[in-house]
Amino acid sequence: MKAVLEIKNLKMYYDTQAGQVKAADDISFSLYEGESMGLVGESGCGKTSVSMSIMRLLPENARIISGNIFFGGKDIVKLSNEEMNKIRWAGISMIFQAAMNSLNPVYRVGDQIIEAITTHEPDVTFEEARQRVASLYKLVGLDPERMDNYPHEYSGGMKQRAVIAMSLACNPKLIIADEPTTALDVIVQDTILRELEKIQKKLNMSMIYISHDIAVIAEVASKIAIMYAGKIVEMSDSVTIFKRPAHPYTVGLMSSFPSIRGAKKELVTIPGEPPNLLNAPDHCRFAPRCPFATDECWKKEPSYEEIEDNHFVACFHPQNLKKQVRANAG
Amino acid sequence: MMLKYIGNRILQIAILLVIYVAIVFFLLHAMPGGIKTLLISNPKLTPQAQEAIIRAFGLNQPLWLQFVDYMKNVFTLNLGISFSYYPTPVWNIIAERLPRTVLLFTVATLIAFFVGFASGKSLAWNRGKTTEYVSTIVGIITYTIFTPLLIFVMIWFFGSFLGIFPLNQFLNPDLWIHTRLNAQVIFLYILLTMLIIGMVMLVSYLVALRFSHRVRTRRLIFYLSTIITVVFSVFFWWVSPVGIYAADILWHMVLPVMTVTIISYAGNMLVMRDSMLETIKEDFITTARAKGLPDKVVRDKHAARTAMLPVVTNFVLSLGFVVSGGVITESLFSWPGMGMTLLDSTLAKDYPLAAGALIFTGIFVLFAHLAIDIIYAFLDPRIRY
Repeated sequence: MKAVLEIKNLKMYYDTQAGQVKAADDISFSLYEGESMGLVGESGCGKTSVSMSIMRLLPENARIISGNIFFGGKDIVKLSNEEMNKIRWAGISMIFQAAMNSLNPVYRVGDQIIEAITTHEPDVTFEEARQRVASLYKLVGLDPERMDNYPHEYSGGMKQRAVIAMSLACNPKLIIADEPTTALDVIVQDTILRELEKIQKKLNMSMIYISHDIAVIAEVASKIAIMYAGKIVEMSDSVTIFKRPAHPYTVGLMSSFPSIRGAKKELVTIPGEPPNLLNAPDHCRFAPRCPFATDECWKKEPSYEEIEDNHFVACFHPQNLKKQVRANAG
Repeated sequence: MMLKYIGNRILQIAILLVIYVAIVFFLLHAMPGGIKTLLISNPKLTPQAQEAIIRAFGLNQPLWLQFVDYMKNVFTLNLGISFSYYPTPVWNIIAERLPRTVLLFTVATLIAFFVGFASGKSLAWNRGKTTEYVSTIVGIITYTIFTPLLIFVMIWFFGSFLGIFPLNQFLNPDLWIHTRLNAQVIFLYILLTMLIIGMVMLVSYLVALRFSHRVRTRRLIFYLSTIITVVFSVFFWWVSPVGIYAADILWHMVLPVMTVTIISYAGNMLVMRDSMLETIKEDFITTARAKGLPDKVVRDKHAARTAMLPVVTNFVLSLGFVVSGGVITESLFSWPGMGMTLLDSTLAKDYPLAAGALIFTGIFVLFAHLAIDIIYAFLDPRIRY
């Protein structure tokens, strides 16, 4: 299998007046053709920083310190903005966190999708572009008639579908869905995620889902990376993550969401807050909140290691967790 | 829907106008002094003559009766006869002076709008650079400067020190003395030319929008037709025998237009800058960037287009000037338009003329606001009536 996206030791820091904020610290992962991956973590752990680094849509005070992002054989980090513009949307497109506001209120929704098409494929005529938008609308379950409406005439769910249709407009190899359904109610959320998964399989695209909701992600993503305080702390296929979570943070994330099926369990919250990434500590970043922390955890950072086949963890005490999960759940 | 809305608004305007006329009438009569005292204190008039004048103008009647009469006249479009230019009707005086003010302030307001819009846009886009700070500070200074001071400096610098622009008046008497041409006609022709160019621009824009989906073709249609019309009208004025008189008027206009622009561009600029800075933070701007649109398209098509709404409001508010003409500006430049008329008639206790000028301004401002509400519906699809 060919890697569509390969990130190697990506470090992205924000320069603030108070100092450097290490929003993404030593991030590495690869994504293969047709593969879907979930990037999970609390708010402020650097998920969006990673996705914005891939799109190169960083604010002015953000800098990619080191590392590479390979997409289609090119290192995105080194591209000029003009070269990057060719990759944006045609190669990598995005479904944004706040789909409600990601459409310009003064233009028709259809025209905004057509704009993306004609920018990247200047040879496509307006009529052809309109037809493509119509078929995209059908694909995401919208009435093509609605493409001449303005965003405020859409409901929240419809806007989300339109934004998904827009992300598909140029047949990208990779779509980054940043909290694609957070603003929607649970029922619509589920429908849209399932449709997104169906479309992704059908068109054989790669996909990165970003969410704080590990349960939702596990349903649609084949691989999950857990981020904590700017670092990936655990990564494996979603079945392994669910059956044998190795990092205490992953365990915490999973027990803080209710399950519809199965016995009623009390939700376990993770005590404390994620650390301030300004002047990040040089010991394990999860240690202050970790129930299993030992002296070792307070001395140095754990290395990111493969504890079983295709299961990576950055923790000093990953093996005895299974027992603890049961104890917590029971 | 739209028609019903416009109907409602016109009804509102009529009611507002009655209130406005009443306020204007009583305010003017509340001024100390008044025409009666002026007449009586004139020793050259015999008491009989004074009596006759007072009766002729109906000044012997109680104020409320005068008001009822005046109101009736206003709604039959009769603004009365001026005291100080007796027996010229107020209408004729306004018809003579309005084009002067409209020309001067339309040109200045339009320039101020576009300069303010463009500079505000690029200030927000180049946030944090030295040019941004410098331009913002300069803008605030010219926006808050004491107007007469700026006018004196401009007159001294360009009129006297450099001596490039003519001082005083709106035309050169030495040139006009040989012709029987009326300046009013020239003013009207210039305004007509501007109107034609404006209409051509609007129509070609709409045509371009309708018949092409390619930005390049649209621009070509728009700019080509605009340039052709401008070149053609300049040529027309050039060969026409009155062209030289129009040029004389325009030459006299340069300094006042420059001054008014300097005073008012910064308001538009600062509003546009703030609005643009807000818009840039919006999610749809990130989307536009993510779509790989060139920087210029993101800035102009997405950010500026959405950010311009408050600036348009600012523009409309400044439209009041187009008719009332800054009293200070016109007086100091000796530009005999509506602003000077307003000042002179008030000082001369010429009620009909002062009231006429004020009422005219009021009608214009009310209709300008109606026009902008309609334009808003086109600019912002979220607004529907």
